[in-house]
Amino acid sequence: MNQITENTTPAVADASPASNGAAKEWQPKILAFCCNWCTYAGADLAGLNRMEYPADIRLLRVPCSGRVNPQYVLKAYQNGVDGVLVCGCHPGDCHYATGNYYAKRRMLVYKRLLEYLGLEPDRFIVRWISGSEAGKFRDTVIEATERIRELGPLSNDLPHLAPEDIPHPISAKFEWLATPKNAREGL
Amino acid sequence: MDFTEQVRKRASQLIEEGTVACVIGWSAGRLKYQRTPTCADTPEQASNLVCDQHCEHALGKYVLEQKDKGRVGLVARGCESRAINRLIADRQINREDVYLIGIPCTGCTTRDGVELKRCHECQFRNPVIYDELLGEPAPEPKNDRFADVRKLEAMSREERRAFFDLMYETCIRCHACRQACPCCTCKVCFAEQEREGWQGKQFDVEQARYYGVTRSFHVADRCIECGECERVCPMGLPLMTLMHKQIKDIDELFGPYEGGGLSDEGPDALRTFKTDDIEEFM
Repeated sequence: MNQITENTTPAVADASPASNGAAKEWQPKILAFCCNWCTYAGADLAGLNRMEYPADIRLLRVPCSGRVNPQYVLKAYQNGVDGVLVCGCHPGDCHYATGNYYAKRRMLVYKRLLEYLGLEPDRFIVRWISGSEAGKFRDTVIEATERIRELGPLSNDLPHLAPEDIPHPISAKFEWLATPKNAREGL
Repeated sequence: MDFTEQVRKRASQLIEEGTVACVIGWSAGRLKYQRTPTCADTPEQASNLVCDQHCEHALGKYVLEQKDKGRVGLVARGCESRAINRLIADRQINREDVYLIGIPCTGCTTRDGVELKRCHECQFRNPVIYDELLGEPAPEPKNDRFADVRKLEAMSREERRAFFDLMYETCIRCHACRQACPCCTCKVCFAEQEREGWQGKQFDVEQARYYGVTRSFHVADRCIECGECERVCPMGLPLMTLMHKQIKDIDELFGPYEGGGLSDEGPDALRTFKTDDIEEFM
């Protein structure tokens, strides 16, 4: 959820429009967490079938979508990724029987939380893709990449509001915490 | 709300009888409207306890500090009793380790007599578990606690981003919210797992956001809505807007949910699943 931080590799910093102006076209960087037992196999199948999809995606193989700690997602945004894709087996098909059900609940709440915090909803996508759905994998990747190309780098998410338009989270401690509802105007 | 006399009497009795080793309550602070959490070990100390509308500290977590003494007596309002349920569910204490002196709470006020925001939004003013209850159960107005969340949700994405950016710019990462939270019981917090390096050391909005978001998500389905995080925040950040948002989502997504700590058993919302859960990731 940020502009590029110090952690980013030089290669990424070069690709960012900030450091290089318009000379070099910006390429999105999308991280896909892929379940070893379905989506990863699906991606493999897409390769076997010679399907073409954008090269902006980086696959990260995880044992199960339930393995994807929500912290990974936030960490990815901090390290210069423009979009995150979490892919797992369809509910009911988990190799470990229940992992993706837990992942589903977790991601439902987490996605809403990140959107609430001001992340563009399309930057965080969760999809169920089975091992035989190579076409769906390709379509998801194309769809995600196109959308993120439209949105631009993650720093485009930053607000461009005049200071007086920003809803202010902090009033003096006792005003915010101890004022009754009817006395609080705005936030 | 003034239970000072009853609390003093019962606390001294319990300590004299030997039912409890100590009683955790509040005593008068330096100023007229200040109260300090106190652990009374003797009947004399128990006669210093105070219990009125200025007692704004939630005492639940102090049990962990005192539990080595033996059975701990605790003056319990709604928030403390839910914290105890939480600690039992998280295997931090056993039910027989604590003796709960229930207080029907009518809400704390500031020095000017204005009801605190978190007490205004409180859903369970009477203790949900107790060993004895002093006085009659208090009325529970069950005011709307999601008003702030709705207001924020109605804003545009950019405004929300600006709001939370400003909030995390202000955060000084003192970790007071974590220390005060009765749900935070990890032996090593993610923020201090240096080798894993979850938490960067930069002092900026991104690292503050990483800390804040992760902390709130860790306690999302267990939060007892006591509002201690907000009370202890030295910068006065509206942290409960995050917790209420997640509780509201859990309620909307996974069926009726009134908040954590209402019972001391059963898996929490994000630690269980139903096969017919809502599906939006197809």
